[in-house]
Amino acid sequence: MQRNIVFLATLWGALGLSWLLSGERFLDLMFAMPDLGKIDDLVLEVVIQAEDAKDALGAPDLFGALRAALHRITGLG
Amino acid sequence: MVFPTLDFILFFAVVLSLALWIGRDERRAALRKGVLIAASYTFYAAWDARFLLLMAGVSALAWGAGLWVRDARRGRRVLVVALALMLLTLGVFKYFNFFFLSLQQLLGDSALARDLAWMRVILPVGISFYIFQAISYLLDIRRGKIAPRHNPIDVFLYISFFPQLVAGPIVRAADFLPQIDRPAMVDATMRGAAVLLILTGLFKKMVVANYLSVLLVDPVFAFPDLQGRAEALLAVVGYGVQIYCDFSGYSDIAIGVALLMGYRFKRNFNQPYRARGLSDFWRRWHISLSTWIRDYLYIPLGGNAGGALRQIRTVMITMTLAGLWHGAGWNFLIWGLLHGAGLVAERGMARLRMLKPLAILSAPLTLVFVLALWIPFRAADWQGSTAIIAAMGRTNGPASVEISTAVLALVAIGLAMNWLPMRWRDAAEARLIRFPPLVQALCLALGTVICFALAQDGVAPFIYFQF
Repeated sequence: MQRNIVFLATLWGALGLSWLLSGERFLDLMFAMPDLGKIDDLVLEVVIQAEDAKDALGAPDLFGALRAALHRITGLG
Repeated sequence: MVFPTLDFILFFAVVLSLALWIGRDERRAALRKGVLIAASYTFYAAWDARFLLLMAGVSALAWGAGLWVRDARRGRRVLVVALALMLLTLGVFKYFNFFFLSLQQLLGDSALARDLAWMRVILPVGISFYIFQAISYLLDIRRGKIAPRHNPIDVFLYISFFPQLVAGPIVRAADFLPQIDRPAMVDATMRGAAVLLILTGLFKKMVVANYLSVLLVDPVFAFPDLQGRAEALLAVVGYGVQIYCDFSGYSDIAIGVALLMGYRFKRNFNQPYRARGLSDFWRRWHISLSTWIRDYLYIPLGGNAGGALRQIRTVMITMTLAGLWHGAGWNFLIWGLLHGAGLVAERGMARLRMLKPLAILSAPLTLVFVLALWIPFRAADWQGSTAIIAAMGRTNGPASVEISTAVLALVAIGLAMNWLPMRWRDAAEARLIRFPPLVQALCLALGTVICFALAQDGVAPFIYFQF
């Protein structure tokens, strides 16, 4: 079980890091999802605060740079 | 919700956490099943919440009828009614539009045809997959292969389990139900295999299938009159690669996702384009459907029993129905009929001992035959098919699609996936299994980021969603 916790925690960490270092905004996704009432309000509040924190941090869009580089190298995109 | 999207990643991260947290506790079996059903219905509702009731209705029918189908007095009648209701549901949703369109064409430009134009039935995603599972559940109970489930939750979970819900693989109750009775344990072997499956699935779909579709197949099949021989030939091969990577990619991700939660599904593809003969091809392509058709259609129709004529009839009926399963359209009918004819010819040649001298050519001949039959399958209509074949007779087209190095590389990669030795894949899996969980997770995360970075903008649906 402990190994699964490590696996899961690493995946969650990687997901958070990917979000932080990309131009992707989870807020956009939230609006596309079904309205869950009070839970929705709570999740929205958390996501808005996280997005604000991300903006304040000014993290670079490394995912965008990787994407552009890969498309340039492979001729795809 | 499509697998290779951020929506699904977020959804799955939450479900996986819950499944692993609750899954290990034997006392929480009901909670585990409840969470998985809730997740599956949420997953399906992301497509169209209106059809949740239909899926629940099919599940309830399967559960209720399952309790009776072994009854000595009423079992047979219950089975017939339940199967008729399921097939009727499938028929209405899947084939109503075809018959209606045909009727409209027959009526021509009349006022009645215009009045009827508003009548259209929306095809619920995955309907044939979950109805096939419900049918196999009932028939397996009737045949004594499995015991009926008294708890409806088990049947609801079997029919709605989200990894295989919308495009298979078609999972058998005998394989799946015993797994939901015990705690879902995930070990290093399952994690390693899941990481490799998910990453190869993402690469096949997001990179190979999607780019081939946009850069080659769609433009050539949309304007066949403008293409020359090279473009038409490459587009046919490209479509063979696209449909393989699209569908086997989906299956790989589905099997990998289920594995990460502790559930094992059987392999759905086994390098089909290296098949030596059509029978061999159908043992390698969409294996869960091929075996379903064999067990619930081909064998009940007679199978290999009887004389040559009866066997020919059985093969032709089976393959025609297999073609029509893909949709109500003349192109699918022709595709199924020609595959049936090919299988009959192959059997005839085997009887006459003509296959041995052709053994060396069996793989390339099978590949050419299968690729050629993708033409009617992909083309929208008969004219489209003939236009592609006509383009193969022209040296140059008036405004051909540009064939870039990237397109050639994608076709080569797609074909290579069928021909590379399986031991290479097994070696990569063995290495992933040996990694500690942290490294396994990092491989999955990094590989996913690279696939997303390589992919084009937007979400491309999987080809088999429409079936």
